[in-house]
Amino acid sequence: MSVIVCRPEQVVHPYYVEGLGVNIHSSQEFCYAIYHHPMLFLDKFADQSVIDFIRDELGMGFLAARMEQRIKTKEKPEELMLMFMQECDYYTGAELNRFRQTVTSFRRMTPLEYAKAKTDYLVRFKQYGKAITGYEAILEEADDKKDDLFIGKVWNNLGACYARIFQFQKAMDAYEKAYTRKKDLKILEKMYHLTCLCPDLELKDRYRSLVSQQLKEQWDKDFDQAGEKAAGSEELKKLDELFQKDSIRRAEAAGNLVEEWKKEYRAMG
Amino acid sequence: MDGLILGLDLCDGYTQMVCDQEERTWTLPTVVCKKKNEDQWLVGEAAFAAALTGDGVMVDKLVKLVMKDGTATIGGIKYGGMQLMAQFLLKVLALAREEYQTDRVKRLLISAPKVDARLLECLQRCADYLGIPKDKVSLISHTESFMYYVLSQKREVWNNQIGLFDLSADNLLCYYEMKVQRGMRQTTVVAEREQMEESFSLDIIKTPPGAKLADKILCSCAGRLLQKKTFSSVFLTGKGFEDLGWAEEFMKLVCARRRVYGESALFAKGAVYRAADLTREKTAYPYVCVCEGRLDSNVTMRVLHKDQENQLVLASAGETWHEAGKEVELILDHQDYLEFIITALDPKKKKTVKLVLEGFPKRDDKTLKVLLKVGFLDERTMTVAVKDQGFGDFFPSTGACVRQEVML
Repeated sequence: MSVIVCRPEQVVHPYYVEGLGVNIHSSQEFCYAIYHHPMLFLDKFADQSVIDFIRDELGMGFLAARMEQRIKTKEKPEELMLMFMQECDYYTGAELNRFRQTVTSFRRMTPLEYAKAKTDYLVRFKQYGKAITGYEAILEEADDKKDDLFIGKVWNNLGACYARIFQFQKAMDAYEKAYTRKKDLKILEKMYHLTCLCPDLELKDRYRSLVSQQLKEQWDKDFDQAGEKAAGSEELKKLDELFQKDSIRRAEAAGNLVEEWKKEYRAMG
Repeated sequence: MDGLILGLDLCDGYTQMVCDQEERTWTLPTVVCKKKNEDQWLVGEAAFAAALTGDGVMVDKLVKLVMKDGTATIGGIKYGGMQLMAQFLLKVLALAREEYQTDRVKRLLISAPKVDARLLECLQRCADYLGIPKDKVSLISHTESFMYYVLSQKREVWNNQIGLFDLSADNLLCYYEMKVQRGMRQTTVVAEREQMEESFSLDIIKTPPGAKLADKILCSCAGRLLQKKTFSSVFLTGKGFEDLGWAEEFMKLVCARRRVYGESALFAKGAVYRAADLTREKTAYPYVCVCEGRLDSNVTMRVLHKDQENQLVLASAGETWHEAGKEVELILDHQDYLEFIITALDPKKKKTVKLVLEGFPKRDDKTLKVLLKVGFLDERTMTVAVKDQGFGDFFPSTGACVRQEVML
C-alpha cells in the first residue's frame, strides 16, 4: 500500500500507441503501457517519436538527451525502457526487476518464437489483418523447420484470425493444416464449429470420421450455450437500451456506436 | 519614488495609514459620506462634518458591513458594503498619493482585527478600483501586525515575552502576547490574541469616577496576565492609551521591572514593515511566524519516492491560511484512503486523519489516480477534496469525489 505523487505534466500532444489504440497523456500511463505490454515497445522504444514525446510533452529534456546518447551507442531498447521507468518513479525497484526478467525471457526466445509472441500480441488487440500477415511471414520462414508443435500453433492462431474476420473458408484451411501438425481434438472442435457458423462449409471425410456421435452432441451443446451467452451479453443489452430511447437520442447513440465499430474494424486491418 | 508601500490598520472605529517612505501617520474615522445631490464622497472627519450639517448621508462600521455582506441606501440608491469600502479606501489612499505625488502603489497591506474570508475577498475586489494589482493587496491580522512591529525593533525588545494592550475606539480591550522560541529547526515566533471580557466605553474615562473604574479594570487584567512571566517589553496602543493620565495605577503595575512603550499606530506600522518586506527578494524575518491568520500545524502525507517513504508537505505552520494549500495528483497503490498527518508545533501533539475514498472505483496496478485539493477556511479548518481523475484512455474517470473538512 502506498501513495505516489504524480509529476506535473502538461501533455498537449499525446503519444498514440497503435497496438493498444490509446493515447498516452502522462509518464504514469506510458510506464503502465510499457510494463504491461513490453512486446509493443521492445522494437520501437528507440524511435525519435518516443524521444520527442519524452522531451517535449513530458518535459524530461535531460532524460531525452541521455536516451539519445544511448541510442547512438546502440543501447538495447529494454535498457532505454528501464531508464525511462526508473526516472518516472512510478514502479518500485522490485517491480522493475520483475519487468527486466520478463523482457529477458522474451530476448531468450528464438527469432520465430519472438515473432509469434509479437504477433499474438496483435491478436490480443484485435489487429487481425496485421496478425495474419505476421503469422504468414512466420510460416514462410519456418517452412523447412520440423517443429510440428510450433508450426501447428501458428496455423491454429492464423485460423482463429481468419474466423474473427469472417473468412471461414480460409479459417478452415488453416485449422486443417494445424490439425495435421498437432493432432489436437480442440482444433477439430473449432473446425466443427466453423461448419455450424457457415453451413456452406463441410468437414472433410477424413475429419468427419474422427468425430463420434457423443463428441458431436457435446460440441453442439457447447455451441448452443455460447449462442445463449452471446445473446445475454452486455453489448446486446446496451443495444436493446439504445433502441428504447427516443428517436433523437437513439440516432445520436447509434451514430456513436457505429463510429466505434468502424474504428474497431479499421484497427483490425 | 517607484511606488508607495502602505500599511493600513482598518477597524470599524478608526483607520490608520502609514507610508514606508517616512514616519507619517494618517488617522481618520472609518466612515464614508455621500453628499446630497452630488456624486461626491467624503471620508473621516469631513464625512462627519457633512453629515452633521445635513449635506450628506454617512455610513459607519464599514468593516462589519462588508463582513456581513450588508448594504446601505443613500439617496435612494442601494450600495453594497464593497462599493462603500472601495470609496473609503480610494479617498484614504488619495491622501498618500497626493502627499508623495505618485499614483503607483507598490504594495498595500491591510491589518484588521481578524482575517475574514469575506473581507479579504472584498479588499482584493476593491484592488482594481483602487488601481492596484490584485496580488499587491493583502490582509493580515492585528496579531500578525504586532508580531512584525516587534520583530522590527531592536532585538533586546523581544528577547523574552512581549505583551500588548490594545484599548481601541471600538471599546474593546484586547491583550496580545508574543514569544520567540529558539532552539528549534527554525526560530519560531508565536503570538496570540485574547479579547478581554472586561471592557468599557472610552467615554467613561472622561469623568474622574469613570476613569478610576477603568483604571481598576485594567489593573485587574494586567495583574492576571502579566504575573509570573518575564517580559522584555510591554506595548500599549489604541485610542484609549493616547492619554495615560487616567490610568495611573495600571501604569505603575505594568512599568514595574518592565520596559513599556506606547505606540498609537502599532498595527499600521507593523503592516507597513511587513509590506516593505514583501517587496524584498529575501525576507528580513527568517522565522516561522504562528499567529491568528496563520497555520499552527504542519500537514503532511506519507508518499513513496524512489523506493523510500517520504513526507509530502501539504501545508506548513506559519503559512497564511488563505494562501496555504496544495493541488496534487496522486496514484494510490492498493489503498482506498488518504491519511493526513497533522503535527502541531509541539511534536507530541501529532494526529492522523484518515479519509476513506467511498464510492471510488477499485482499480489495481497503480491506475487509481486522484486529484487532491487542500485548502483552508480559517487557521483551524482544512478542506480536502479528492476526485477520481481516471487513468488516461485506459480507465476513464468515474467522476467519483469526496469532500471533507478537517479540524486541525
